[in-house]
Parts: sequence; structure tokens; C-alpha cells
Amino acid sequence: MSYEKDIQDKIDTKGDLPEKLDISLLKYFWQASPLSGSRPDSVPKFLRDIDVLKNFSDNELRILSQSLHLRVFTDGEVIFSQKDIGVGLYFVYSGQVDVRVEKEADEDENIIITLDKNDYFGELALLQEGSVRNATAVSRDTTQLLGIFKPDVEYLIESYPVVATKLLQSISVIIANRLYSVTQELKRVKHRLNQMEAESAKALEKN
Amino acid sequence: MPKPLRKTKVQGEVARLVFFFSSILLCFIALVSLPRLAAPLSFSYVIYLIMNPVIPKLMKLGLGKNTSLAILFIGLMFSITYPVIKLVPMITTESQNFRYYIPKMERYIKEKYRVVKSEVESKTGFELKDNYAADAIQGAREAVTSFLLYLPQYLASTIEWIFLVPLFIFFLLKDGHKMKSIVLRLTPNSIFERFYYLGHQFNRKLGDYIFAKFVEASIVGIIITSGLWALDIKFALLLGLISAVTNIIPYVGPFLGAIPGLIMVVADQGVGPEFGGVLILYIVANAIDIALVFPILVSKIVDLHPILVVISVILGSQYFGLIGMIISIPVAAAVKLIVAEIYRELYAVRTRG
Repeated sequence: MSYEKDIQDKIDTKGDLPEKLDISLLKYFWQASPLSGSRPDSVPKFLRDIDVLKNFSDNELRILSQSLHLRVFTDGEVIFSQKDIGVGLYFVYSGQVDVRVEKEADEDENIIITLDKNDYFGELALLQEGSVRNATAVSRDTTQLLGIFKPDVEYLIESYPVVATKLLQSISVIIANRLYSVTQELKRVKHRLNQMEAESAKALEKN
Repeated sequence: MPKPLRKTKVQGEVARLVFFFSSILLCFIALVSLPRLAAPLSFSYVIYLIMNPVIPKLMKLGLGKNTSLAILFIGLMFSITYPVIKLVPMITTESQNFRYYIPKMERYIKEKYRVVKSEVESKTGFELKDNYAADAIQGAREAVTSFLLYLPQYLASTIEWIFLVPLFIFFLLKDGHKMKSIVLRLTPNSIFERFYYLGHQFNRKLGDYIFAKFVEASIVGIIITSGLWALDIKFALLLGLISAVTNIIPYVGPFLGAIPGLIMVVADQGVGPEFGGVLILYIVANAIDIALVFPILVSKIVDLHPILVVISVILGSQYFGLIGMIISIPVAAAVKLIVAEIYRELYAVRTRG
């Protein structure tokens, strides 16, 4: 039964009318308005779910979202290639992205990771001068990415220094985390190398 | 199956690239073929490039974006409209008076010519014909008269600009970023990052260059005008304006700017203390420009080799006259930027990889 028919019936039977208007259509238009921040699929809402951006206030996320560029890539389209010069960081807004690294010996590519919604990649390019991409990023399905580039960061630094500082803090966190994991990895490699050296020394002694 | 899919993808990207570059080319052709629209639009764009960095500075004071835009715009309106309303009648009367001054200069040159002629005749026995001088004077008179006759007309079109330029500047400042995002949305994925970064760098360089040149020309213009005023030379404002405009042209500009002033003084008062004063004034103004203004602004001015500067100025003047001389340097800088980017793309990355 529709809302209008329900009300009409109540008027006809002189029943009690609801105190507040409860029109789902109105609610729909309110939420569908591009000005309304309550849309579940809006860019600031998306950014809210990204872990490294949790120190941003709602308004700061809104400002940040104005500097992001929505780019759409089709299935299998290359976002950037290894050894390209890059100037930006991408957030995966929808779809999936394969990150591949060229193998040294043969021409085949090696998929190292598949990134999903809320993941990000390419953060080094935002900071380095003439940064060279370390891997190739290829979209899987139709992928929407939100990119932020050096000119946008410069604009934020000039116009919204607080937002820029928080953004750079977040990028520093990402890089610190990566550096930490690289250090851990290096420790493991070093340990394994020491072990192997010791083993080969023992083997030599036996011989 | 994957092969044909890949082929259509490549074709799609090629189609997007063709569409994008042909749109840019169409816009460019439209602008070139409509000079009456293109001229105020380019001028507004130049002012926009100078004004745009001011907005973030106002925003840092805690003002909203629209408030800072309004403050900046009202300030700009005042600083453009007030001098134009004040200066246009002054320059118009000066240039009209200057026209009546030409016979005096002509008489002076004829007199000098007679002296030179008799001297040459007495020393070498060679007789100079009168028509050499007469032809030269005739040519110069026609050129100067036509320039001065058209000057008020140019100024009248500046009054048309008073309405057009603020309108363009306002919308460029207000909606510039929206226009930019439309262009960026049309940019194909394969060239997006490079295009965005190159465009940004070019705009910044152009803005810096224009800002530096504007400051330099204003300083030279103010020094010359106030100096001529102090020396009580006629047409101080007009001569100051000429030296400011010619100062934009590198190397030759300062000399071109000094010629009218020096001729003026010689014709009016002969080679005397005034001539020396004016000569020193022009030298001092350019010395201040070279010694103080240039080093402070030098980092802002596009770094091009002097040879490249001279070549681009000559090429510019060859094809587009005076305007060509002024725009040749930023255009050369843009070409250098793009060539450097292509070079980096072709060589540097490969060696680093």
C-alpha cells in the first residue's frame, strides 16, 4: 500500500493522521542531493574509511576530496608502467588493481599484489623529484581511481596548510610503515644469509 | 579472445587521444581567427596568472575563498579602472600635442642637414641632394602621424576592454579550477599525469615570467616618467609609457625606449645640459633595472640562453611584429619545457631504468 493511499484512507475513515511527514521520496531526494553530505557513495565518505586518513576532520576530508581527480580505467588498462615518471598517488575507489613487477631474466611479469577498494599506491611519486615508478599498475574490471598529484599538493600547501600537513603526515605514516616492513625483511634476509654462510663454512670444514 | 579485446582498448585510447588533441587544436584555431575576442581573453589570462597566487595568501589570513576573491577583484577593478580613466585623457592630449610638435623636429633636422651638406660639400666636393633628407623626413612623419592618429583609437578599444577584461578575469578566478577539471577529465589516461604536470609547470613559469616583467616595466616606467618630470621635459608620461612598454623586449627594448625621448630633447632644446640629463636618466633607469630589479627577479624569469632569447625575439618579430617580440620569450620557454620533457621521456628514464 502506498503512503498516499494510506493517508487518503485515514482521511476517509477519519482515522488519526501521523504527526510528522514520513515521505520516503523526500528522504530519497534529500539524500540524493549532490550538496548533501549524507550520500553513502560520496568521495568524503569513501575517504573516511581509509585508515591512514583517520586524523582528518569531516571538513578537511571535504576539502581534500575537491583536490582529487576521479579517473576511470577499463579492464586491463595500464594505469602506469614500471620506469615511468610519476607525479601522483592513487586511491582505489572501486574495482581492483594488479601491481606487477617485470622479471629480470625473462619478459614475463610477476603479479605481486592485487589492490582492492580503499587501498592506495604510488605514494613515493608524490614526494620524490622525477620519481620513477617501481612497478606497473593494471586495472582489473572497470576501476575507478582517485588520484592526487604534485600540483594538487602544492595548491593545498598554499591554500589549506592544515589539510596539506595532515595529508603529508598520512603519507609519512604510509612510508614509515613500508620502511619498517622493509627493515624487518632485511633483518630476516641478513639472518638467513648468516645462517647460510655458517652452513657453508661447516660444510667446507667437513670436506 | 584477449587479443581482439586488447585491440579495441588500444583503438579506444587512440580515439580519445585524437579527440583530445583535435579539441585543443580547434580551440586554438578559434582563438587565432577571432582576435577581437582572443586579445582581451589572453590579456585577462595574463592578469589571472598574476592574480591567482594572491588568493591563497588571502585565504591564509582566515578569509573564505569567495571573500578573498571579492576583495581581490574589487581591488583589481579599482587599480585598473582608476588609472585608465585618469590616464587615457592625459595620454590622448599628450599624443595630440606631440603631433603638433613634429614640424619643429622636422625643421631642426632640415637645419642640421643643411649644415652637414655644406660641410660635406666643402670637404669632399660631393653634393648631397636635398631629396635624401626630404624623403627620410616624409617617411618618418607618416609613420609617426599614423601611430599617433591610431593611438587614441587603441585607447578607445581599451575602454571596451574595461568591460570585457574584468568579466573574463572574474570568471577565470572564480571558475578557473572548474575549467581546468573539465580539461583534465577529457585528458586520456595514457597522457594524464604528464599533461597535468607539464601544464601546471608551464602555467607557473608563464605566471612568474609575466609578473616579473610587469614589475620590471613598471619600475622603469615610473623612474623615467618621474625623472623626465623633474627635468621638466615635455610629454614625460607618454615617454615613460613608451620606455615601460619597450622594456618588455629584452636587450633591444631599453634602447628603443630611449630613442623617442632623446630625439624629443635634441629637437626641442638642442644638444645641451637637458640632453645630457635625459641621457643620464635613461642610463640610470636601465642600470637600476640591470643591477637591482633583474637580480631580484632573475630566478622568476625563465632561464633561457641569451642566444635563444635573441633568436626567439627575432623570429617573433618576423612573424607577429611587436606582439611577437613580447610573447616570443614565454613561448620559447614553453617549447623548451616540452622538449626537455620529451628528452627525459626518451633518454633519461631508459638509462635510469
